[in-house]
Amino acid sequence: MIISHICTASIVSIVAGLDRTAAFQLMISRPIVVAPLTGWLLDTPLVGLEVGLLVELLWLCFLPVGASIPPDDTQVSIAATLLAGTGDYYIEAGSLSLVLVAVLSCCALGKIGQVFDGWARRFNGQFIIATQRAVAEGHLNHIGRNHLKGLLVFGFASWASFVVIGFCGALFLYLFFVVLKMGPPLEPVAGFLRILFPLVGAAAILANLKVRRSVTLYLASFVSTLMLFWFFK
Amino acid sequence: MTVVLLPKKIFIQTFFRSFLLQASWSFQGLQSLGFLFVLFPALEFFYEGEELKCVCARYLEKFNTHPYMASPIMGMCLALEEKQGKEAGISSQDLKEMTMFPYAAMGDSLFWGGLKPLAAVLSLFLAVKGSLWAPLVFLVLFNVPHLGCRLGWLWQGYRQGLDMIQIVQKWQLPDLAMRLKEATIVLLGSLSAFLVFHYLEMEKINPGLGVVFIPLLCVGVLLFKKGISSLTCVLLSAGFVFLLSLIWNWI
Repeated sequence: MIISHICTASIVSIVAGLDRTAAFQLMISRPIVVAPLTGWLLDTPLVGLEVGLLVELLWLCFLPVGASIPPDDTQVSIAATLLAGTGDYYIEAGSLSLVLVAVLSCCALGKIGQVFDGWARRFNGQFIIATQRAVAEGHLNHIGRNHLKGLLVFGFASWASFVVIGFCGALFLYLFFVVLKMGPPLEPVAGFLRILFPLVGAAAILANLKVRRSVTLYLASFVSTLMLFWFFK
Repeated sequence: MTVVLLPKKIFIQTFFRSFLLQASWSFQGLQSLGFLFVLFPALEFFYEGEELKCVCARYLEKFNTHPYMASPIMGMCLALEEKQGKEAGISSQDLKEMTMFPYAAMGDSLFWGGLKPLAAVLSLFLAVKGSLWAPLVFLVLFNVPHLGCRLGWLWQGYRQGLDMIQIVQKWQLPDLAMRLKEATIVLLGSLSAFLVFHYLEMEKINPGLGVVFIPLLCVGVLLFKKGISSLTCVLLSAGFVFLLSLIWNWI
Protein backbone atom coordinates (compact mmCIF):
# COMPACT_ATOMS: atom_id res chain seq x y z
CA MET A 1 0.00 0.00 0.00
CA ILE A 2 1.42 3.35 -0.95
CA ILE A 3 0.49 6.92 -0.05
CA SER A 4 -1.25 7.50 -3.40
CA HIS A 5 -3.59 4.54 -2.72
CA ILE A 6 -4.54 5.98 0.69
CA CYS A 7 -5.09 9.46 -0.81
CA THR A 8 -7.29 8.06 -3.60
CA ALA A 9 -9.38 6.05 -1.13
CA SER A 10 -9.63 9.14 1.13
CA ILE A 11 -11.07 11.21 -1.71
CA VAL A 12 -13.58 8.46 -2.51
CA SER A 13 -14.49 8.24 1.19
CA ILE A 14 -15.31 11.98 1.30
CA VAL A 15 -17.31 12.02 -1.97
CA ALA A 16 -19.23 8.84 -1.15
CA GLY A 17 -19.69 9.95 2.47
CA LEU A 18 -21.33 13.16 1.26
CA ASP A 19 -23.55 11.18 -1.12
CA ARG A 20 -24.73 9.10 1.83
CA THR A 21 -26.64 11.93 3.55
CA ALA A 22 -25.54 15.45 2.75
CA ALA A 23 -25.50 15.76 -1.02
CA PHE A 24 -27.13 14.24 -4.11
CA GLN A 25 -27.98 10.80 -2.63
CA LEU A 26 -27.45 9.13 -5.99
CA MET A 27 -26.48 5.94 -4.12
CA ILE A 28 -22.81 6.10 -5.10
CA SER A 29 -22.37 5.36 -1.40
CA ARG A 30 -23.89 1.87 -1.66
CA PRO A 31 -21.24 -0.88 -1.21
CA ILE A 32 -22.06 -2.44 -4.62
CA VAL A 33 -21.09 0.87 -6.26
CA VAL A 34 -18.46 2.43 -4.03
CA ALA A 35 -16.35 -0.71 -3.50
CA PRO A 36 -15.87 -1.48 -7.24
CA LEU A 37 -15.30 2.26 -7.81
CA THR A 38 -12.55 2.31 -5.19
CA GLY A 39 -11.16 -0.93 -6.60
CA TRP A 40 -11.19 0.50 -10.12
CA LEU A 41 -9.29 3.60 -8.98
CA LEU A 42 -6.78 1.40 -7.14
CA ASP A 43 -6.49 -0.91 -10.17
CA THR A 44 -8.16 -3.84 -8.38
CA PRO A 45 -11.78 -3.62 -9.58
CA LEU A 46 -12.61 -7.29 -8.99
CA VAL A 47 -11.53 -7.05 -5.35
CA GLY A 48 -13.92 -4.10 -5.01
CA LEU A 49 -16.70 -6.09 -6.66
CA GLU A 50 -16.14 -8.96 -4.23
CA VAL A 51 -16.26 -6.56 -1.26
CA GLY A 52 -19.44 -4.98 -2.66
CA LEU A 53 -21.06 -8.41 -3.01
CA LEU A 54 -20.23 -9.30 0.59
CA VAL A 55 -21.30 -6.04 2.24
CA GLU A 56 -24.27 -4.89 0.14
CA LEU A 57 -27.03 -7.01 1.65
CA LEU A 58 -25.68 -7.05 5.20
CA TRP A 59 -27.13 -3.71 6.37
CA LEU A 60 -29.54 -3.02 3.52
CA CYS A 61 -32.53 -3.51 5.84
CA PHE A 62 -31.38 -0.67 8.12
CA LEU A 63 -33.37 2.27 6.83
CA PRO A 64 -32.16 5.82 7.55
CA VAL A 65 -35.65 6.63 8.87
CA GLY A 66 -36.03 10.04 10.52
CA ALA A 67 -33.04 10.76 12.73
CA SER A 68 -31.76 7.16 12.90
CA ILE A 69 -28.25 6.46 11.61
CA PRO A 70 -27.46 3.03 10.12
CA PRO A 71 -23.94 1.47 10.37
CA ASP A 72 -21.56 3.08 7.88
CA ASP A 73 -21.34 0.40 5.16
CA THR A 74 -19.86 3.00 2.78
CA GLN A 75 -16.63 3.55 4.73
CA VAL A 76 -16.50 -0.17 5.61
CA SER A 77 -16.53 -1.02 1.88
CA ILE A 78 -13.91 1.58 0.93
CA ALA A 79 -11.56 0.59 3.76
CA ALA A 80 -11.99 -3.16 3.09
CA THR A 81 -11.28 -2.65 -0.65
CA LEU A 82 -8.16 -0.62 0.13
CA LEU A 83 -6.87 -3.16 2.65
CA ALA A 84 -7.68 -6.26 0.58
CA GLY A 85 -6.62 -4.83 -2.77
CA THR A 86 -3.34 -3.18 -1.89
CA GLY A 87 -2.28 -4.53 1.52
CA ASP A 88 0.82 -6.64 1.99
CA TYR A 89 0.29 -9.29 4.67
CA TYR A 90 2.39 -12.15 3.28
CA ILE A 91 -0.72 -13.37 1.49
CA GLU A 92 -1.57 -12.68 -2.15
CA ALA A 93 -3.29 -9.27 -2.44
CA GLY A 94 -6.90 -9.72 -3.53
CA SER A 95 -7.08 -13.39 -2.51
CA LEU A 96 -10.49 -14.49 -1.20
CA SER A 97 -9.14 -15.13 2.33
CA LEU A 98 -7.73 -11.60 2.52
CA VAL A 99 -10.97 -10.06 1.18
CA LEU A 100 -13.04 -12.00 3.73
CA VAL A 101 -10.95 -11.06 6.75
CA ALA A 102 -10.70 -7.43 5.57
CA VAL A 103 -14.50 -7.24 5.26
CA LEU A 104 -15.06 -8.98 8.60
CA SER A 105 -12.65 -6.72 10.48
CA CYS A 106 -14.01 -3.53 8.85
CA CYS A 107 -17.65 -4.60 9.37
CA ALA A 108 -16.97 -5.06 13.07
CA LEU A 109 -16.00 -1.36 13.09
CA GLY A 110 -19.05 -0.17 11.15
CA LYS A 111 -20.55 1.37 14.31
CA ILE A 112 -17.70 3.92 14.36
CA GLY A 113 -19.29 5.55 11.32
CA GLN A 114 -22.48 6.04 13.32
CA VAL A 115 -20.50 7.84 16.04
CA PHE A 116 -18.90 10.31 13.60
CA ASP A 117 -22.17 10.82 11.71
CA GLY A 118 -23.97 11.55 14.99
CA TRP A 119 -21.23 14.03 15.92
CA ALA A 120 -21.63 15.82 12.55
CA ARG A 121 -25.40 16.10 13.02
CA ARG A 122 -24.96 17.58 16.50
CA PHE A 123 -22.19 19.95 15.30
CA ASN A 124 -24.40 21.21 12.46
CA GLY A 125 -26.88 22.45 15.07
CA GLN A 126 -24.79 25.62 15.48
CA PHE A 127 -25.40 26.55 11.83
CA ILE A 128 -29.16 26.71 12.26
CA ILE A 129 -28.77 28.93 15.36
CA ALA A 130 -26.30 31.17 13.49
CA THR A 131 -28.70 31.39 10.53
CA GLN A 132 -31.66 32.29 12.75
CA ARG A 133 -29.58 35.11 14.24
CA ALA A 134 -28.35 36.26 10.80
CA VAL A 135 -31.89 36.29 9.36
CA ALA A 136 -33.15 38.31 12.32
CA GLU A 137 -30.35 40.83 11.69
CA GLY A 138 -31.15 40.88 7.97
CA HIS A 139 -27.95 39.16 6.76
CA LEU A 140 -29.71 36.87 4.29
CA ASN A 141 -26.52 36.05 2.39
CA HIS A 142 -25.50 33.93 5.42
CA ILE A 143 -28.23 31.35 4.65
CA GLY A 144 -26.31 29.66 1.83
CA ARG A 145 -22.95 30.04 3.53
CA ASN A 146 -24.08 28.45 6.81
CA HIS A 147 -25.93 25.67 5.02
CA LEU A 148 -22.95 24.71 2.84
CA LYS A 149 -20.63 24.62 5.87
CA GLY A 150 -22.51 21.44 6.77
CA LEU A 151 -20.90 19.76 3.74
CA LEU A 152 -17.46 20.32 5.27
CA VAL A 153 -18.61 18.79 8.56
CA PHE A 154 -20.16 15.73 6.90
CA GLY A 155 -17.10 15.36 4.64
CA PHE A 156 -14.75 15.45 7.62
CA ALA A 157 -16.90 12.96 9.57
CA SER A 158 -16.82 10.52 6.61
CA TRP A 159 -13.07 10.81 6.22
CA ALA A 160 -12.50 10.36 9.96
CA SER A 161 -14.65 7.18 9.94
CA PHE A 162 -12.65 5.88 6.98
CA VAL A 163 -9.32 6.55 8.71
CA VAL A 164 -10.33 4.87 11.98
CA ILE A 165 -11.94 1.85 10.26
CA GLY A 166 -8.99 1.48 7.87
CA PHE A 167 -6.34 1.82 10.58
CA CYS A 168 -7.99 -0.64 13.01
CA GLY A 169 -8.76 -3.01 10.12
CA ALA A 170 -5.12 -2.97 8.99
CA LEU A 171 -3.95 -3.76 12.53
CA PHE A 172 -6.34 -6.71 12.72
CA LEU A 173 -5.20 -8.05 9.33
CA TYR A 174 -1.57 -7.80 10.41
CA LEU A 175 -2.36 -9.68 13.61
CA PHE A 176 -4.41 -12.35 11.81
CA PHE A 177 -2.13 -13.11 8.85
CA VAL A 178 1.36 -12.08 9.96
CA VAL A 179 1.47 -12.62 13.73
CA LEU A 180 -0.98 -15.53 14.14
CA LYS A 181 -0.44 -16.94 10.59
CA MET A 182 -4.11 -17.89 10.25
CA GLY A 183 -4.21 -17.69 6.44
CA PRO A 184 -3.83 -21.41 5.60
CA PRO A 185 -6.58 -22.71 7.97
CA LEU A 186 -8.99 -20.14 6.50
CA GLU A 187 -8.58 -21.28 2.89
CA PRO A 188 -10.73 -24.48 3.05
CA VAL A 189 -13.75 -22.56 4.39
CA ALA A 190 -13.28 -19.34 2.38
CA GLY A 191 -15.79 -20.44 -0.29
CA PHE A 192 -18.46 -21.09 2.34
CA LEU A 193 -17.80 -17.78 4.10
CA ARG A 194 -18.18 -16.00 0.73
CA ILE A 195 -21.83 -17.04 0.51
CA LEU A 196 -22.43 -16.64 4.25
CA PHE A 197 -22.46 -12.81 4.06
CA PRO A 198 -25.18 -12.46 1.39
CA LEU A 199 -27.25 -15.24 2.96
CA VAL A 200 -27.18 -13.58 6.39
CA GLY A 201 -28.09 -10.30 4.66
CA ALA A 202 -30.97 -12.03 2.86
CA ALA A 203 -32.27 -13.45 6.17
CA ALA A 204 -32.03 -9.98 7.77
CA ILE A 205 -33.97 -8.43 4.87
CA LEU A 206 -36.65 -11.15 5.13
CA ALA A 207 -37.04 -10.50 8.84
CA ASN A 208 -37.28 -6.74 8.39
CA LEU A 209 -39.32 -6.26 5.19
CA LYS A 210 -42.87 -6.09 6.43
CA VAL A 211 -44.45 -8.28 3.75
CA ARG A 212 -47.04 -10.99 4.41
CA ARG A 213 -45.89 -14.53 3.55
CA SER A 214 -42.36 -13.25 2.91
CA VAL A 215 -40.67 -16.49 4.06
CA THR A 216 -43.03 -18.62 1.92
CA LEU A 217 -42.38 -16.45 -1.14
CA TYR A 218 -38.63 -16.55 -0.52
CA LEU A 219 -38.49 -20.32 -0.02
CA ALA A 220 -40.64 -21.02 -3.09
CA SER A 221 -38.32 -18.90 -5.18
CA PHE A 222 -35.19 -20.44 -3.60
CA VAL A 223 -36.27 -24.05 -4.15
CA SER A 224 -37.58 -23.53 -7.70
CA THR A 225 -34.42 -21.68 -8.79
CA LEU A 226 -32.17 -24.32 -7.24
CA MET A 227 -34.13 -27.09 -8.95
CA LEU A 228 -33.97 -25.27 -12.29
CA PHE A 229 -30.20 -24.87 -12.07
CA TRP A 230 -29.78 -28.48 -10.99
CA PHE A 231 -31.99 -29.72 -13.82
CA PHE A 232 -30.36 -27.65 -16.58
CA LYS A 233 -26.73 -27.84 -15.42
CA MET B 1 -54.36 40.01 -7.31
CA THR B 2 -51.62 39.79 -9.92
CA VAL B 3 -49.62 36.58 -9.82
CA VAL B 4 -45.94 36.89 -10.80
CA LEU B 5 -44.82 33.65 -12.46
CA LEU B 6 -41.55 32.08 -11.43
CA PRO B 7 -38.89 32.31 -14.19
CA LYS B 8 -37.64 28.96 -15.56
CA LYS B 9 -34.10 29.82 -14.50
CA ILE B 10 -35.10 30.02 -10.84
CA PHE B 11 -37.11 26.79 -11.11
CA ILE B 12 -34.04 24.98 -12.52
CA GLN B 13 -31.88 26.52 -9.78
CA THR B 14 -34.36 25.23 -7.18
CA PHE B 15 -34.21 21.74 -8.70
CA PHE B 16 -30.41 21.60 -8.54
CA ARG B 17 -30.36 23.07 -5.04
CA SER B 18 -32.74 20.31 -3.92
CA PHE B 19 -29.82 17.86 -4.18
CA LEU B 20 -28.23 19.71 -1.26
CA LEU B 21 -31.33 19.64 0.94
CA GLN B 22 -29.58 17.69 3.71
CA ALA B 23 -26.14 19.37 3.58
CA SER B 24 -26.63 20.89 7.04
CA TRP B 25 -28.90 18.20 8.53
CA SER B 26 -28.87 18.60 12.31
CA PHE B 27 -30.79 17.25 15.28
CA GLN B 28 -31.80 20.84 16.12
CA GLY B 29 -33.30 22.01 12.84
CA LEU B 30 -33.44 18.73 10.88
CA GLN B 31 -33.83 19.77 7.19
CA SER B 32 -35.17 23.28 7.87
CA LEU B 33 -32.05 25.21 6.86
CA GLY B 34 -31.74 23.01 3.74
CA PHE B 35 -35.37 23.64 2.81
CA LEU B 36 -34.85 27.39 3.10
CA PHE B 37 -31.60 27.13 1.08
CA VAL B 38 -33.43 25.32 -1.74
CA LEU B 39 -36.32 27.79 -1.94
CA PHE B 40 -34.28 30.95 -1.26
CA PRO B 41 -33.83 32.09 -4.91
CA ALA B 42 -37.60 31.80 -5.44
CA LEU B 43 -38.39 33.56 -2.16
CA GLU B 44 -35.97 36.35 -3.11
CA PHE B 45 -37.91 36.69 -6.37
CA PHE B 46 -41.33 36.85 -4.72
CA TYR B 47 -40.52 39.00 -1.67
CA GLU B 48 -38.18 41.76 -0.64
CA GLY B 49 -37.10 43.75 2.38
CA GLU B 50 -38.72 43.08 5.75
CA GLU B 51 -41.26 40.68 4.21
CA LEU B 52 -38.47 38.47 2.86
CA LYS B 53 -36.86 38.41 6.32
CA CYS B 54 -40.12 37.26 7.91
CA VAL B 55 -40.67 34.56 5.29
CA CYS B 56 -37.10 33.24 5.77
CA ALA B 57 -37.56 33.14 9.56
CA ARG B 58 -40.78 31.16 9.04
CA TYR B 59 -38.96 28.58 6.90
CA LEU B 60 -36.38 28.02 9.64
CA GLU B 61 -38.91 26.20 11.79
CA LYS B 62 -38.31 22.44 12.14
CA PHE B 63 -38.91 20.37 9.02
CA ASN B 64 -38.01 16.80 8.13
CA THR B 65 -39.20 14.40 5.47
CA HIS B 66 -37.80 11.85 3.02
CA PRO B 67 -35.22 13.72 0.88
CA TYR B 68 -36.84 12.65 -2.41
CA MET B 69 -40.39 13.27 -1.21
CA ALA B 70 -39.43 16.82 -0.27
CA SER B 71 -39.73 17.68 -3.99
CA PRO B 72 -43.56 17.74 -4.19
CA ILE B 73 -43.66 19.75 -0.93
CA MET B 74 -41.16 22.23 -2.36
CA GLY B 75 -43.19 22.48 -5.55
CA MET B 76 -46.39 23.16 -3.60
CA CYS B 77 -44.60 25.75 -1.43
CA LEU B 78 -43.41 27.49 -4.63
CA ALA B 79 -47.01 27.58 -5.88
CA LEU B 80 -48.23 28.95 -2.54
CA GLU B 81 -45.52 31.59 -2.35
CA GLU B 82 -46.25 32.58 -5.93
CA LYS B 83 -49.80 33.40 -4.85
CA GLN B 84 -48.37 34.60 -1.52
CA GLY B 85 -50.66 32.16 0.29
CA LYS B 86 -53.67 34.40 -0.30
CA GLU B 87 -55.73 32.25 -2.63
CA ALA B 88 -55.57 28.90 -0.99
CA GLY B 89 -56.15 30.05 2.57
CA ILE B 90 -53.31 27.87 3.86
CA SER B 91 -49.76 28.92 4.71
CA SER B 92 -46.66 27.13 3.52
CA GLN B 93 -45.90 26.36 7.18
CA ASP B 94 -49.24 24.53 7.58
CA LEU B 95 -48.65 22.70 4.31
CA LYS B 96 -45.19 21.53 5.44
CA GLU B 97 -46.49 20.34 8.81
CA MET B 98 -49.40 18.56 7.16
CA THR B 99 -47.38 16.67 4.55
CA MET B 100 -43.92 16.00 5.98
CA PHE B 101 -44.73 12.92 8.09
CA PRO B 102 -46.97 11.03 5.64
CA TYR B 103 -44.59 11.82 2.78
CA ALA B 104 -41.62 10.67 4.86
CA ALA B 105 -43.31 7.35 5.55
CA MET B 106 -44.21 6.92 1.86
CA GLY B 107 -40.67 7.79 0.72
CA ASP B 108 -39.01 5.47 3.23
CA SER B 109 -41.22 2.61 2.19
CA LEU B 110 -41.01 3.23 -1.57
CA PHE B 111 -37.37 4.24 -2.07
CA TRP B 112 -35.47 2.79 0.90
CA GLY B 113 -37.64 -0.27 1.48
CA GLY B 114 -38.74 -1.01 -2.11
CA LEU B 115 -36.62 0.38 -4.92
CA LYS B 116 -33.18 0.22 -3.25
CA PRO B 117 -33.29 -3.49 -2.28
CA LEU B 118 -34.76 -4.39 -5.68
CA ALA B 119 -31.99 -2.60 -7.59
CA ALA B 120 -29.37 -4.08 -5.24
CA VAL B 121 -30.57 -7.67 -5.64
CA LEU B 122 -30.75 -7.37 -9.45
CA SER B 123 -27.22 -5.95 -9.66
CA LEU B 124 -25.88 -8.63 -7.29
CA PHE B 125 -26.78 -11.31 -9.87
CA LEU B 126 -24.15 -9.70 -12.10
CA ALA B 127 -21.70 -9.25 -9.23
CA VAL B 128 -21.82 -12.97 -8.41
CA LYS B 129 -20.77 -13.70 -12.01
CA GLY B 130 -17.90 -11.19 -11.62
CA SER B 131 -19.37 -8.65 -14.04
CA LEU B 132 -18.24 -5.07 -13.53
CA TRP B 133 -21.56 -3.90 -15.00
CA ALA B 134 -23.14 -4.57 -11.59
CA PRO B 135 -22.56 -1.07 -10.10
CA LEU B 136 -23.73 0.60 -13.30
CA VAL B 137 -26.89 -1.51 -13.44
CA PHE B 138 -27.63 -0.60 -9.81
CA LEU B 139 -27.15 3.12 -10.46
CA VAL B 140 -29.36 3.08 -13.57
CA LEU B 141 -32.12 0.99 -11.95
CA PHE B 142 -32.24 3.23 -8.91
CA ASN B 143 -31.55 6.66 -10.33
CA VAL B 144 -33.71 6.72 -13.46
CA PRO B 145 -36.97 6.41 -11.45
CA HIS B 146 -35.62 8.44 -8.55
CA LEU B 147 -34.43 11.42 -10.59
CA GLY B 148 -37.56 11.29 -12.73
CA CYS B 149 -39.72 11.43 -9.59
CA ARG B 150 -37.72 14.29 -8.08
CA LEU B 151 -37.95 16.51 -11.16
CA GLY B 152 -41.49 15.48 -12.08
CA TRP B 153 -42.86 15.94 -8.56
CA LEU B 154 -41.21 19.34 -8.12
CA TRP B 155 -42.70 20.51 -11.43
CA GLN B 156 -46.13 18.98 -10.78
CA GLY B 157 -46.19 20.35 -7.22
CA TYR B 158 -45.48 23.81 -8.60
CA ARG B 159 -48.03 23.54 -11.41
CA GLN B 160 -50.82 21.83 -9.48
CA GLY B 161 -50.36 23.56 -6.13
CA LEU B 162 -52.40 21.97 -3.34
CA ASP B 163 -54.06 19.55 -5.81
CA MET B 164 -50.74 17.69 -5.72
CA ILE B 165 -51.75 16.20 -2.35
CA GLN B 166 -54.65 14.40 -4.01
CA ILE B 167 -52.52 13.42 -7.00
CA VAL B 168 -49.95 11.76 -4.72
CA GLN B 169 -52.78 10.03 -2.87
CA LYS B 170 -54.17 8.68 -6.18
CA TRP B 171 -50.82 7.11 -7.08
CA GLN B 172 -51.12 4.75 -4.09
CA LEU B 173 -47.39 4.75 -3.44
CA PRO B 174 -47.61 2.43 -0.39
CA ASP B 175 -49.19 -0.25 -2.62
CA LEU B 176 -46.47 0.23 -5.22
CA ALA B 177 -43.86 -0.11 -2.45
CA MET B 178 -45.46 -3.38 -1.35
CA ARG B 179 -45.30 -4.77 -4.93
CA LEU B 180 -41.62 -3.80 -5.14
CA LYS B 181 -40.92 -5.51 -1.81
CA GLU B 182 -42.62 -8.71 -2.97
CA ALA B 183 -40.59 -8.68 -6.18
CA THR B 184 -37.43 -8.15 -4.09
CA ILE B 185 -38.22 -11.19 -1.94
CA VAL B 186 -38.75 -13.43 -4.98
CA LEU B 187 -35.51 -12.21 -6.55
CA LEU B 188 -33.68 -12.58 -3.23
CA GLY B 189 -34.74 -16.23 -3.13
CA SER B 190 -33.37 -16.75 -6.65
CA LEU B 191 -30.14 -14.91 -5.79
CA SER B 192 -29.60 -17.04 -2.67
CA ALA B 193 -30.21 -20.23 -4.70
CA PHE B 194 -27.82 -18.97 -7.39
CA LEU B 195 -25.10 -18.34 -4.76
CA VAL B 196 -25.61 -21.73 -3.11
CA PHE B 197 -25.60 -23.52 -6.50
CA HIS B 198 -22.37 -21.74 -7.49
CA TYR B 199 -20.68 -22.67 -4.21
CA LEU B 200 -21.74 -26.33 -4.33
CA GLU B 201 -20.59 -26.67 -7.93
CA MET B 202 -17.19 -25.19 -7.07
CA GLU B 203 -16.82 -27.60 -4.16
CA LYS B 204 -17.98 -30.45 -6.46
CA ILE B 205 -20.94 -31.26 -4.19
CA ASN B 206 -24.34 -32.36 -5.53
CA PRO B 207 -26.33 -29.08 -6.00
CA GLY B 208 -29.48 -30.83 -4.78
CA LEU B 209 -27.97 -30.64 -1.29
CA GLY B 210 -28.56 -26.89 -1.46
CA VAL B 211 -31.90 -27.50 0.30
CA VAL B 212 -29.83 -28.03 3.47
CA PHE B 213 -29.46 -24.24 3.55
CA ILE B 214 -33.23 -23.77 3.98
CA PRO B 215 -33.39 -24.62 7.72
CA LEU B 216 -30.26 -22.49 8.27
CA LEU B 217 -31.95 -19.53 6.58
CA CYS B 218 -35.11 -20.06 8.63
CA VAL B 219 -33.07 -20.08 11.86
CA GLY B 220 -31.41 -16.84 10.67
CA VAL B 221 -34.80 -15.18 10.06
CA LEU B 222 -36.01 -16.28 13.52
CA LEU B 223 -32.85 -14.89 15.16
CA PHE B 224 -33.29 -11.53 13.41
CA LYS B 225 -36.93 -11.40 14.46
CA LYS B 226 -35.71 -11.91 18.06
CA GLY B 227 -33.54 -8.81 17.64
CA ILE B 228 -30.06 -10.25 16.88
CA SER B 229 -28.12 -7.93 14.55
CA SER B 230 -26.85 -9.10 11.17
CA LEU B 231 -23.30 -8.18 12.18
CA THR B 232 -23.41 -10.34 15.32
CA CYS B 233 -24.85 -13.17 13.27
CA VAL B 234 -22.16 -12.94 10.57
CA LEU B 235 -19.31 -12.63 13.10
CA LEU B 236 -20.54 -15.55 15.21
CA SER B 237 -21.17 -17.88 12.26
CA ALA B 238 -17.87 -16.96 10.56
CA GLY B 239 -16.02 -17.48 13.85
CA PHE B 240 -17.73 -20.85 14.36
CA VAL B 241 -16.93 -22.06 10.82
CA PHE B 242 -13.32 -20.90 11.16
CA LEU B 243 -12.98 -22.67 14.52
CA LEU B 244 -14.27 -25.90 12.97
CA SER B 245 -11.69 -25.52 10.20
CA LEU B 246 -8.92 -24.99 12.77
CA ILE B 247 -9.95 -28.11 14.71
CA TRP B 248 -10.16 -30.11 11.45
CA ASN B 249 -6.64 -28.96 10.51
CA TRP B 250 -5.30 -29.80 13.95
CA ILE B 251 -6.79 -33.34 13.88
